Amino acid sequence: MAVHEKVKEFYRNELVELQNADLYKEERTIFTPQGADITVEYPANSKPREVLNFCANNYLGLSSHPSIIAAAQKGLEERGYGMSSVRFICGTQDQHKELEGKVSRFLGLEDTILYSSCFDANGGIFEALLGEEDALISDELNHASIIDGIRLCKAERHRYKHSDMKDLKHHLEQTQNKRFRMVVTDGVFSMDGVLAKLDEICDLVEEYDAILVVDDSHATGFIGKTGRGTHEHFDVMGRVDIMTTTFGKALGGASGGCISGSKVFIDLLRQRSRPYLFSNTVSPVVVAGTIRALELIGASTSLRDTLEENAKYFRRRISEAGFEIKPGFHPIVPVMLHDAGVVQNMARDLYFEGIYVIGFFYPVVPRGQARIRVQISAAHEKHHIDHAVEAFTKVGKKYGVVK
Amino acid sequence: MAYNEKTKSHYDNELKCIRGAGLFKEERYIESPQAASIKVEYPAGAPTKDVLNFCANNYLGLSSHPEVIAAAHRGLDERGYGMSSVRFICGTQDIHRELENKLSEFLGVEDTILFPSCMEANAGLFEVMLDKDDAMIADRLVHASIVDGMRLCKAQLYNYKHSDMAHLEEKLQETQNCRFRLIITDGVFSMDGDIAKLDVICDLAEQYNAMVMVDDSHATGFIGKRGKGTHEHCGVIDKVDVITTTLGKALGGAAGGCVSGRKEIVAMCRQRARPYLFSNAVPPVVIAAAIKIIDLISASTERRDKLEWNTNYYREKMVRAGLDIKKGESPIVPVMLYNAKLAQDVARDLYDEGIYVVGFFFPVVPQGQARIRTQISADHEREHLDKAVAAFTKVGEKYKILGKKKEEVIAMYGA
Repeated sequence: MAVHEKVKEFYRNELVELQNADLYKEERTIFTPQGADITVEYPANSKPREVLNFCANNYLGLSSHPSIIAAAQKGLEERGYGMSSVRFICGTQDQHKELEGKVSRFLGLEDTILYSSCFDANGGIFEALLGEEDALISDELNHASIIDGIRLCKAERHRYKHSDMKDLKHHLEQTQNKRFRMVVTDGVFSMDGVLAKLDEICDLVEEYDAILVVDDSHATGFIGKTGRGTHEHFDVMGRVDIMTTTFGKALGGASGGCISGSKVFIDLLRQRSRPYLFSNTVSPVVVAGTIRALELIGASTSLRDTLEENAKYFRRRISEAGFEIKPGFHPIVPVMLHDAGVVQNMARDLYFEGIYVIGFFYPVVPRGQARIRVQISAAHEKHHIDHAVEAFTKVGKKYGVVK
Repeated sequence: MAYNEKTKSHYDNELKCIRGAGLFKEERYIESPQAASIKVEYPAGAPTKDVLNFCANNYLGLSSHPEVIAAAHRGLDERGYGMSSVRFICGTQDIHRELENKLSEFLGVEDTILFPSCMEANAGLFEVMLDKDDAMIADRLVHASIVDGMRLCKAQLYNYKHSDMAHLEEKLQETQNCRFRLIITDGVFSMDGDIAKLDVICDLAEQYNAMVMVDDSHATGFIGKRGKGTHEHCGVIDKVDVITTTLGKALGGAAGGCVSGRKEIVAMCRQRARPYLFSNAVPPVVIAAAIKIIDLISASTERRDKLEWNTNYYREKMVRAGLDIKKGESPIVPVMLYNAKLAQDVARDLYDEGIYVVGFFFPVVPQGQARIRTQISADHEREHLDKAVAAFTKVGEKYKILGKKKEEVIAMYGA
């Protein structure tokens, strides 16, 4: 027994400290497929309850969509379960290439490389493309996976204030002596549901001759008139160099991610990107499911249109009920409560009113900005949203948040 | 878009250098499920060809096993396709817990936490366990994902010469002033197929009060009498503190990995491991299949026994045929060719003979140690193994390397 009592004691204390600081993350057990209606056991060992899910990234309602399931079943039958290999040894099926082509066409970019996850895509992109002669200029609120990718890259690091174009310009000016500059931003910031100002960013990037990378994980499939993402929304398709995105949210939600962009970047990533070279290929069943997801959303905008309507409806109703929300139109709707205690109490009470949501507070969001992040799905019906607004109103009154 | 000529020509040039150095990795398109016999298009545009696969991590032949596929179907029907969430928001199904418990029981550890891949498990683990007052003491040949995980951790980094226990002890002596020390090793080293000396490592760990971490990705399911891994093989099941492993190789090969071990360490990972907190839950279809796989390999050692038989048979026949293979007992059997071009030429000729293998060379292995890494599967039948040995013999004759010593091959082809 090599781990001695000192070590155990140390880790135990850390866990107790997290509990005392109300930062301990508890998992709730779900007994059903992902959907608008799910059965959940919470707290542990209590009787499972049917609740409405308002905290999934299941934006288009495709996570358990019959057509996706059927495609996955067909994938299993025809292409097997796993490849047991990385891509370049014996893990590339023809359908991997087919999916890469479909993603490129959907996003309007030249080429695409698949990863096990968008976490891995972001982990492997910067180091492969930049060296110490270069600079990375990153929005301060970018996703954790981008931060980890940057930590693994030798380029000089610059951080600009969230969506502050003057500060971005300042950093672009400061780094003019560098060989390459890469500006990196989330397309949609996941805690706020706010879009990056991609039109202004594109102008600046062009003025200063930098490369632009956008992580569109919370946008691909539903932002923009045909759901291509934030670049479509801002009418800057053709001006973004590289996008990273996920199949783990709107596009079925199982796993997998990708990087799309000019062919030369993608070619080099295939040779050098460590998570691509050293982690498994995306499994055939997920490739088949994702191909179908892209076919569905390529053929019709009805799911993203429903989602847009639902988000608009919830945003209007919850505002009319007297709640403060972050303005916008994205299906991420943060209900601002500011106080961490109120957030946790309300999320718990909402659960017992049949609404499953999660509170977010420091350090995930800044102090004093605690919130419940509501996420709307195309799988929600109007009566689901009405139920949620009623529950919020009832519980909000109890805590004096609304009258 | 600032993707101008300067940028483009820079990256174009990098690609040219990679090609010029003979290091360009080409992908071959497989048009069938993963198995001992597959349909491959190579080079791109060529007609498809039926070949025997000797380069997959499909050790137990479970990647397309009917019972695994059936379990995946049930998972899809009963639990859906994706969770569209991380674990702690709304991505934990009861079957996620069930699989975590089954893995703990199978590996003989206290607790388990799932990750989207073992790459992400290794990326997240060290930063959670250790801080700048601590030391990581790693074998020099550990997998790239461990290297990346260590790069993300603030603890001081030491490494010891591959499997050199005296050197490890030296490093343990050097780091006695650190708060915690963690010895880090692969269970089976993927390029050589050799097994870490876990018994000696655990003795040293006890003597110097250090913890032991093993990445058992190339062992879980088939190394050790009951296939539990290198800790079983080396008789140290209770002595390893943390194991990381994958569901992406022997255990079906789709996706997913885990950290298994002391419950405090697993509990800390649930609170703090960044890839766990910020990447998707393993999809239900993979969970359902993995549960079935643990059930299959717990109920019977038939598949690992067949793999062991296949490995011994193949190793013996390859030696007898005069091929220079790395000694060992794992199903990773490197055929040493020393020269990068020779490794690629032999691999291409073997493909023409119906044997699909890949050459490995610098920087994946040290300069002058180019090789073809063959990997044996329980899916291989005896005639497959015979066919591979015959093909190696034929191609080996062509290049006049049969029965030749390392120095002789290098004299003929260079290192």
